[in-house]
Amino acid sequence: MTQIDTSLHLFEGHIGVFDPKNLRRVDWVLVGLTAVLAIAGLMTLYSASFGEYIRADASNDLGFLGSLQTVAASWFGRQLAYLLVGVALAALIISLDYRLLVSLGPTMYIIVLILLVLVHFFGEEVNGARRWLDLGFTKLQPSEFSKPALVYMLAWYLSRIGERVQNVFLFALALIFMAIPAGLIFLQPSLSVAIVLAPIVLIMLFTAGCRLWQILVLVLPGILLAGLVWWQVTDYERLNQDVDAYMAKSYPLGIRLSPHQIDRILTFRDPERDPRDKGYQAIQMKITVGSGEVLGKGYGKGTQTHFKFLPEFHTDLIFALLAEEWGFVGAAAVAIVFLAFLMRALALAASCTEPSGSLLAVGCAAVLGFHAFANMAITVGLLPVTGMPLPFLSYGGSFYMTTMICVGTILSVHVRKRFLQ
Amino acid sequence: MPATSDRKPTHADLMDRRVSLLSAACYVVVTLILLRLAYLQVVMGDFYADQAIRNLIRSYPLKAQRGIIYGRDFKTQRPVVLASNRAAFDLYLVPKECEDREEEVCRRLEQLIGIDGDALLDDISLHRERREYFTQIPVKQDISRVDLVRVEEMSYALPGVFTVARPQRRYLYGAVGGQIMGYIGEISREELKQTNDYTMGDTLGRSGVEQQYQNILRGQDGRIVMSVYNQGIPQIRYDPFGNPVVVTDKGGAKVATDQKGRRVTIEYRDDPVPGKPIELTLDMELQRKAEECLAAMDGQRGAIVVMIAGNETYGYDQAGQILAMASSPGYDPNVFVDPSGNVLVDDTGNVVPPSPEARRNPEVKSLRRRLLEDADGLRRMRHRAYQERAFPGSIYKIAVAIAGLEEGVVNRDATYFCPGHFTLGNARWACHKAGGHGRINVVDALAVSCDVYFYNLGRDLGVERIADWSHRLGLGVATGIDLPQEDTGLIPTPEWKEEYYGRLFPDMSPYDRRWQRGDTINLAIGQGDCKITPLQAAVLMAAVVTDGRIVTPYINLARGPRVSEPVMSPETLAILREGLTQVVAKDTYPRGTGIRAAIPDMHIMGKTGTAQVASMRLYGHLPEEEIPYHLRSHAWFVSGVMDRNPPIVIAILYEHGLHGSSGASPYSKELMEFFYNERCPEQPVRIAGREVDLSRADAAADADAAAQSERDG
Repeated sequence: MTQIDTSLHLFEGHIGVFDPKNLRRVDWVLVGLTAVLAIAGLMTLYSASFGEYIRADASNDLGFLGSLQTVAASWFGRQLAYLLVGVALAALIISLDYRLLVSLGPTMYIIVLILLVLVHFFGEEVNGARRWLDLGFTKLQPSEFSKPALVYMLAWYLSRIGERVQNVFLFALALIFMAIPAGLIFLQPSLSVAIVLAPIVLIMLFTAGCRLWQILVLVLPGILLAGLVWWQVTDYERLNQDVDAYMAKSYPLGIRLSPHQIDRILTFRDPERDPRDKGYQAIQMKITVGSGEVLGKGYGKGTQTHFKFLPEFHTDLIFALLAEEWGFVGAAAVAIVFLAFLMRALALAASCTEPSGSLLAVGCAAVLGFHAFANMAITVGLLPVTGMPLPFLSYGGSFYMTTMICVGTILSVHVRKRFLQ
Repeated sequence: MPATSDRKPTHADLMDRRVSLLSAACYVVVTLILLRLAYLQVVMGDFYADQAIRNLIRSYPLKAQRGIIYGRDFKTQRPVVLASNRAAFDLYLVPKECEDREEEVCRRLEQLIGIDGDALLDDISLHRERREYFTQIPVKQDISRVDLVRVEEMSYALPGVFTVARPQRRYLYGAVGGQIMGYIGEISREELKQTNDYTMGDTLGRSGVEQQYQNILRGQDGRIVMSVYNQGIPQIRYDPFGNPVVVTDKGGAKVATDQKGRRVTIEYRDDPVPGKPIELTLDMELQRKAEECLAAMDGQRGAIVVMIAGNETYGYDQAGQILAMASSPGYDPNVFVDPSGNVLVDDTGNVVPPSPEARRNPEVKSLRRRLLEDADGLRRMRHRAYQERAFPGSIYKIAVAIAGLEEGVVNRDATYFCPGHFTLGNARWACHKAGGHGRINVVDALAVSCDVYFYNLGRDLGVERIADWSHRLGLGVATGIDLPQEDTGLIPTPEWKEEYYGRLFPDMSPYDRRWQRGDTINLAIGQGDCKITPLQAAVLMAAVVTDGRIVTPYINLARGPRVSEPVMSPETLAILREGLTQVVAKDTYPRGTGIRAAIPDMHIMGKTGTAQVASMRLYGHLPEEEIPYHLRSHAWFVSGVMDRNPPIVIAILYEHGLHGSSGASPYSKELMEFFYNERCPEQPVRIAGREVDLSRADAAADADAAAQSERDG
């Protein structure tokens, strides 16, 4: 409670902890960009849900009420609901003082940790992984909320230690804050969500002003490991993929990829090696994106997606559907809007003089940016296929909440900053 | 807050700088993504668009109906259907359409048509698990008419059950002419590799007419092109004409559903072009009669060819038409297309009820496999009239006589002395008449089939000239009939013997494989290594009937006659005709050997043949009826008619029939009487020995007939 008190005494007299009037002072540029992305997302999902009907130019004959039910039950209808809940959530965050929320950072962090432990025992098991908590009225994915919780936790922590982030121990402590939830998520297992936490923390530490060598020390082993992997993969290829000959060779530190793992790497590099199984998704992704050509196949007329040649086109691979139906023009436009969105968010972060606000905004931008870029890079074949949703576009309630919390937080930081000068 | 140069940068300035660096990184990443997007969509766009189309568009064949094969009714000259396509009805069930009533439907089907209801229920639940509610599950293939009627009467109580008609080959005459029809079968993987004209599941003619005229009969398959879902299998129903039944949806698109009930749009459709019909020269009643003759033979093995010849009076425009070509034992080609071929048969030919034990027993095979593997060793799949060769025996004397007369070695009046045997060096050959025929000329030698005359003539001619004339007369070479896998027969020559025995017995001394003088003596009476097909025998006989011309036999009516220029002089022809007429007509002692084939008031020529298949030493001491079946001589008879329209020739091979005169020649009479009385009841016309306008042969024949009836009247 003392923390809340210290935060409160910073307020100028006429601003309350909760003040809905703040909603009128938001940055309308960022709101506009958000709206553009949200509408693009809804449109794409509408196509994903009803593409077949759009394609044939014939409405289904369920009648008005029936149509309404169908729409409500579709991905599009539910995503629309998530958006409305998300907007409400964002409005709540904007109305609240972000410093109150920052001071609650450790509390959120601990709640998420508890949820992650709970999901480990009570989670719903799907395909051998426990990721979901069934709350009766809705399902929650606690690992999603670990992202904003970690951002708030670090904003609280890094603003407290300030310049002392350059101290090795305090720097390492930040990494430990990340490692605990990452480890729990890794056990679910949900590798891709666990991986996302690392760049968020690194970007926040970088922004907080740590020394560059500290980042390098973290990144360097990764680079070395990549070198070792490269060495082994080329060896494996040079030996004409002879498993026995490869296993007979020795490598430093006793690190050795199994032939199975090397196969996966080779398949990423050349999906045609295994076009029906491991390379299938990569090949179909390229065909889906490429066949959109410059102007796209037309709204609702994506053949690769609607005829199910590409799986997961409503969630992680929705950018492929967009690229297929809207072509290079549409896909590039969405990529550029994302860039504009991030530029605006980072500009708002930089304009905030109060460190915790700045860090909060950068952290939230990092969450959105990393997801957006990684997802697009995967879809165009620059990165190997891993489950990574695209903010505003991919279908999924928990992630939409994360997205809207991040947007709300960035706007909230901006709303307060002029009263802090 | 921007950092200025005149004061020390604060920690806040550091943070600002780091944020700008982050912005720069964002630009780099987005640029990379945009470049990659441009590469995929702009540079490679065409390529990937093509790939996407290939994913989406699938083509399914619409099978063309196979052409109909007609024979003819010679009496009325109308075509009769030999092979056509009947509608085979297959029963299917769609789980979605009998939802909640599967149990009831399956039990009812079990009662109605005796299928395994439990197996069908299992099948349905399997498709349910895969969410393939719209799969057409085959219930029973090719159901009988009775079952069809039962199912259709109960159709109100069998939701989701429907029949699909598909064309299936049917040979209306069954085993009659079966080997000529040939059979059809699916194309094999090996054959597919060699051609790109066919696809998996196409049918090919495997022998006979079906194989020979495959390209005419097959027609042209159509196709239906659809845009399908990933791993979607369109479930199309076909109407009884083999056309896909499609639905038009609200948008006007033609659609069907796949196994999961998703809509499949039909992009376009090429209709199949049915195969063209083939009209055969066969008269099916005569064919049936010929097969009855074969069936009457002891052992039922043999072949009969009935072919139309030509002559000056009646013209040549029908010469070569095969009226009947029988081979026994044969097979029913329906066995290869309908379920009757799946019947299990044991080693002795008895039908075995299907059971797991029966399937494991290597001696129990389906009728189809037994035929293909020649399980009974009777070579049922081979047509003995043109795909199998046999020793010709004395009928070969026709060729030797022609050679001797044409080469000037003998003439009408030249004689040899027959003491009942013939010696050459240390070897001795017997004539079939132990006492000998005395001085004998060529006409009488043919009439009584004197062996010694032809031993002498063969010795004087030499093997080269005999072989050369044999080839000219169509022996030892393909006749050119339009049927596949024709056997050429074999006329041995010194070169052939060297090569053949050298290959077969590499250790044999060069002396033993050299042509011996005795080989020529054997060849002169159609023994030794000489073998011909019954069809070649018919062509040889036809050469004498058809004014010395070689006739190419044919079976496709549209092919038309191919008759060569005369290969022998009119003098030779006259002598041959005289001799061969005597075979049938000479009733003074010694009588002609073919006298049993004589029909009053009909000018018939003939030649008998009794071909030894084993040395006399093996059975000479036995009475005839005790000779083992496989050692008995083949009986041959070739005959030709001169004074009837159309003139026909008949070649009969009665395997192990002992004597050409008693075994084979009566069947010639039976067939000729049947043909001219029942199938071609025109008035008999004598050769008037006057000029006849060939182009108006029919008119002339009519005029002759009128004159004849006037005389009779």
